[in-house]
Amino acid sequence: MDKLEVVGKPIKRIDGIDKVTGAAKYATDITLDNMLYAKLLRSPHAHAKVTHIDTAAAENLPGVKAVATILEVPKVLQYWYFLRTGKKEKQIYLRDNIVRFVGDPVLAVAAKDEETVSKALSLITVTYEKLPDLQDPVVALEEESIKIHSKGNVAMKAEKEFGDIQEGFNRADVIIENTYHTSKQKHASLEPIGSCVAHYQPDKRLTVFSSTQLPHWSRHYLAGALEMPLNKVRVIKPYTGGAFGGRCGLIHGLEVMCSWLSRKALRPVRLSFSREEDFIATESRHPMIIKMKTGATKEGIITANDVKIIADVGGYGTHYIGVIADCLSTGGALYKIPNYRFYGTAVYTNKSLCGALRGYGNPQMNFAQESQVDIIAEKLGVDPLKIRLKNYRPKGDMDPVLREKIQSNGLPECLEKGAAEADWDAKRCQLPGITVIKRGIGLSIMLHGTGAAGALPDPASATIMINADGSVNLLTAAADEGQGNRTVLAQVASEVLGIDIEKITVSDTDTAVTPLDCGTHGSRQAYSGGLAVKAAATEARNKMLFFAAKSLGVKQQKLGIKKGRIYELSDPENNILIHELMRQNQIGDMSLCEQVIGSFSGIASAMPGYYGAIFAEVEVNTETGEVRVTKLTSAFDVGRALNPDLVEGQITGGGAMGIGFALTEGLIVKDGHILNGNLTDYRLLRACDVPEIVPIIVESNEPTGPFGAKGIGEGAMVNVASAIANAICHASGVRLTDLCMTPENILQKLEEKTA
Amino acid sequence: MKKIDIKLTVNGEQHEMAVAPGERLLDVLRERLGLTGTKEGCGEGECGACTINMNGQAVLSCLMLAVQADGATILTIEGLQKGADLHPLQEAFIGESAVQCGYCTPGMIMASDALIRNNPSPTQGMIRDALANNICRCTGYDRPVKAVLKAASQMKERKNG
Repeated sequence: MDKLEVVGKPIKRIDGIDKVTGAAKYATDITLDNMLYAKLLRSPHAHAKVTHIDTAAAENLPGVKAVATILEVPKVLQYWYFLRTGKKEKQIYLRDNIVRFVGDPVLAVAAKDEETVSKALSLITVTYEKLPDLQDPVVALEEESIKIHSKGNVAMKAEKEFGDIQEGFNRADVIIENTYHTSKQKHASLEPIGSCVAHYQPDKRLTVFSSTQLPHWSRHYLAGALEMPLNKVRVIKPYTGGAFGGRCGLIHGLEVMCSWLSRKALRPVRLSFSREEDFIATESRHPMIIKMKTGATKEGIITANDVKIIADVGGYGTHYIGVIADCLSTGGALYKIPNYRFYGTAVYTNKSLCGALRGYGNPQMNFAQESQVDIIAEKLGVDPLKIRLKNYRPKGDMDPVLREKIQSNGLPECLEKGAAEADWDAKRCQLPGITVIKRGIGLSIMLHGTGAAGALPDPASATIMINADGSVNLLTAAADEGQGNRTVLAQVASEVLGIDIEKITVSDTDTAVTPLDCGTHGSRQAYSGGLAVKAAATEARNKMLFFAAKSLGVKQQKLGIKKGRIYELSDPENNILIHELMRQNQIGDMSLCEQVIGSFSGIASAMPGYYGAIFAEVEVNTETGEVRVTKLTSAFDVGRALNPDLVEGQITGGGAMGIGFALTEGLIVKDGHILNGNLTDYRLLRACDVPEIVPIIVESNEPTGPFGAKGIGEGAMVNVASAIANAICHASGVRLTDLCMTPENILQKLEEKTA
Repeated sequence: MKKIDIKLTVNGEQHEMAVAPGERLLDVLRERLGLTGTKEGCGEGECGACTINMNGQAVLSCLMLAVQADGATILTIEGLQKGADLHPLQEAFIGESAVQCGYCTPGMIMASDALIRNNPSPTQGMIRDALANNICRCTGYDRPVKAVLKAASQMKERKNG
């Protein structure tokens, strides 16, 4: 293919008009005829056995159409690795009478209106036998008399060593050991997590409108939980108000419960969570305790890293296997540390459940590891930038965890361009200032995987249909939560087909019309989705060329396509318009009547890492402990930016979310109750709080990616907190090891330092 | 409970209806009039997704009772576009890539519209302050602020030109 026409251009998003005019429909905007309204009754206890539920009075209330409880409706402990066999799948459906955190759903009522639902809920009595609860993962790990799940409190233990850790420490001239704590961050997508409409019809078909990131896996879980065939379950994902991992499958207590009610009532049911329910009872980031011992030679070569992680899973396990694996695969592969030991333990507690959140386990791991690297640099008197260049694992090396060769790595360019923009050399030498406001600059780097090919079932599929007027329908389930991947996939199709992007329509995200796709997670859609669309479009292109060759009397290989016209490369005058050819094929030639269709289903050949360097500039007020980030420079190697505007959107948005993770965001849990479950007390950054964030795109051309692309979405926030921690240390001389880095934490460290 | 009769002019159309005393303006717009472009993000006045324009001012429709809006002239995101052309703010939000998930977008555009009506030449700082009521989790705010700046200057140009 010669010069690219559409890929690499800042094409405006295809859903822009829908979104600026209010025409875009989100799950909460959907109303069906004869629809019922539902609401959950949630546990007031952190750990209890439900011994009796009396729903008689509620069921007798006029207007109440269905009641369903956890005694009949299974909970789904979702992680799609378990869908690989029918036997494994059975493990993910849990039907019992135990509630495991404050807010855990007990039952739901569907009635003709919200007022009746509320009244019915007040008429229900639930009898609980309170059980002792465990809030501290360290205690839960040791405790054997209190079991949160029948198998105990340890969800998993992982162990991995490469090299010889003892030998690594023997070679080290400096060894440091620290313990880090990270917070229970919430997605806080602007559309609250948890809104769906389910419609079970008398002919035993179920349609669910739900803002899921993984429509096909959600369909699979729903079919399993409701014991229905896959073809009778249809999941439609409407527009989604942000996800960030919070909709990585079904929502605890939402779609299954809503569908169950609909099946009982044989009417459509809407179940939507309030913002408070979103905060207290949907997934959050796994808080972690990370103990890390790191050794390096006096030249600054890191020789050993010993990692022990305890992750707090909360009451139910979903993504903990992947989250723990992510800590290892990102931490272990970023640097060429020859001796690495990793222990990861995931522990249940009686807190709200944890799951996927932008970066998975990487932001936690990166905060610890990038702090360690900076501490070593400081001890040795080495420039933090230079120590990274000395130790990073370059292109051509083997990834020690994935056992794949690294085929692209633009880290040096990220560091170089980021340092130039941030004026690193000059600012790093500046003194912090003599007033109470101390200024500093810090940096950190990161690696994150694109997709999960080989690690998880990670299919991607696409179908391309060329219409008689030369326009195109692209069928894909690549769920777009706002990042813009549907636009990017249209660009890829347009580029390959030689058909204008305005003529390409991307389908709704609907399992009834789209082939199997894993969904949107792991920064995968530009890469895995892009590969699938590229393959499907290539098949369609070749078919068009086949027909054009016959029509033009030229060999297929001697043809090109540009702007909707197929032409002979050596004689462009000999050409045919695609729409003329397609009309002839489909309708005009009654002996043919064939539509050109291209399709692909399969998996990417790799799980390439993408890289980033972030430079944070801060002001620390040593009297109040307040930190102000004054500038963030984020340079990311995305392989190739298929749409630079959208890539920059991910980098700046991820930057803001990362600042929140660093400074303000974390759920506060006391005795099992979340104290800050609202948008006033859970502090998100607002327009007046966000500093200048400068996105820098580096293109290393990943050979396995579509047009060289790899991921960006998750990585954009991964190393913000570590860069800020390193900057705070540069400014004030104190090392923060706990997130969030609140004024209280900073003041305490400053006091310890002066004492 | 006894219902109360109210009159509203919404996006140029007059409506008369009987509402419950506790009924929120947001629910009247979304559930009764089907104007679902106005979003609910929190129901507590913290996020700004439900921002509409009432009698020329930005108002959080989740914190306003329908009866309080009796007699008011209301503009929602659905009423901003005149004819086939998008409003300059709508154009600028697309043009500056200020939209990602889009859930905050209607509220942000309505807040910006009220700002520009009261101050046709806002500075970047003024825009950031005016949009401080509107949470956006996707963009980091830079693009929306640029979009408002662009729309304001375009509207001024059009007015003068």
